[in-house]
Amino acid sequence: MTFFEEQLEQGIFQICYCRKCNYTIWPPKEICHKCYSKSDWKKSTNIGKILEFSKKASMYFGLIEIDNGIRILGDISSTSTPKIGQSVRMNVSFNSKPNYSFIVENN
Amino acid sequence: MNKVAIVGTGQTKFSKDDSDIEKLLFESSSKCIQSMNDCDSKDIDGVLVSTNNNSKYLGAILSETMGIQPKISHSIEHLCSSGTNAIISAYAYISSGLSDVILVSGVESATNPGQILEWDKSRGALEHPIYWGSMLTKSHKRKFQTTEEELAIVSAKNHKQAMDNPFAYSNEARTISEVMNSKQITDDLRILDCSRSCSGSSSILLASEERAKILSEQPIWITGIGQKTTSASFTKNILEEIESTRIAANLAYKMAKIEAKNIDVAEVHDAFSVCELMAISELGITSNEKSGEFVRNLFNTENRMINPRGGLIGAGHPLGATGISQTIEITNQLQNKSNKRQISNTKTGLIHNMSAAGTSSSIMVLQN
Repeated sequence: MTFFEEQLEQGIFQICYCRKCNYTIWPPKEICHKCYSKSDWKKSTNIGKILEFSKKASMYFGLIEIDNGIRILGDISSTSTPKIGQSVRMNVSFNSKPNYSFIVENN
Repeated sequence: MNKVAIVGTGQTKFSKDDSDIEKLLFESSSKCIQSMNDCDSKDIDGVLVSTNNNSKYLGAILSETMGIQPKISHSIEHLCSSGTNAIISAYAYISSGLSDVILVSGVESATNPGQILEWDKSRGALEHPIYWGSMLTKSHKRKFQTTEEELAIVSAKNHKQAMDNPFAYSNEARTISEVMNSKQITDDLRILDCSRSCSGSSSILLASEERAKILSEQPIWITGIGQKTTSASFTKNILEEIESTRIAANLAYKMAKIEAKNIDVAEVHDAFSVCELMAISELGITSNEKSGEFVRNLFNTENRMINPRGGLIGAGHPLGATGISQTIEITNQLQNKSNKRQISNTKTGLIHNMSAAGTSSSIMVLQN
């Protein structure tokens, strides 16, 4: 397992960024995509906003942007129809693959 | 650069059943060689196989099966646009003079596990294409007021056109109402809005100008090529755009010295209904706002200009073979050999093949 995956398993989303040019590297990699320097990690705020959403069976899912412009697909928990731009909190886990879920704030 | 032409074609029928890929490769390759006047295995000095299957050494396996001992032989994988990538690689070998005649054969089996892009961690557990297909559809509806009926027309049109394609996995007609009432996959996708994974194989033979004139009475020339890869992660896309298609199309038009208005017929990558609307807009054939109306008009007037063989939705989508089947359709159209699907007076045709939610696109312009 990678460091990113181990952290997801513990419920922590680590943002990969370049120590030299501060570029956010997503999906995470050991080397910066722009300047090829070594990357480092910082914890996410786990707060994001809904860019787009749809629904499969009874579960909403969508494209969410969290800090530093990281975009992620995941399930959205909401008792009412989500709205574009609505604020969400991210929960993460890892079970053979990453799992991201989002809870609409003030739901 | 030397000129390159398409001189032979062969296909198997697409099917949802699992199938042996070596057998499929042999079937379409044999048909391809037999489609020519007088082609001997000794004439072929390149064999490329396009597939997402994990089997190894397929270039050499196909060569041995076909009795060919080529100079160049290998496999090419680029998800859904593997087929056009293989044709463009063959073009490069021939135009540079490294090779004279290349067999390009694409294949897939319906249940192949190699079709999912595991690398893209931004998709999390939602790695199946229906999730990005839903995002693109929802976004298109919101931004361009595209209606569910307009989306359903794409599928109804392509199913109707596939009825006259003997290689399509389904030859069933689907009305607009049937599409709109088909099984709901997500709030924004019905099952008949989705292309289906299939087993199948398609082969094409490419030749240098000198060899083409001997091997075919109607060589079809590849006059424009454009390719662009913007990323490997769907989530980096701007939802209402397919940037890679726009860039690749402009490169291909420049090379062929044509404009979008010169295109008589096009095969576009309708992985989902919305992809056809987005593709014809990015290709400059229409605009996003008018794309639904454009397709409705094609359907009402029985104009087969877009996806005459039925597209991916009507014909099926065996990943490694799709781009080659699209190219065969445009070749047949330019040779006036498309039977019931034939569009009159075609001079210029286009192929649009893309991968992983449009993160990569390949465009080819063919002329007779």
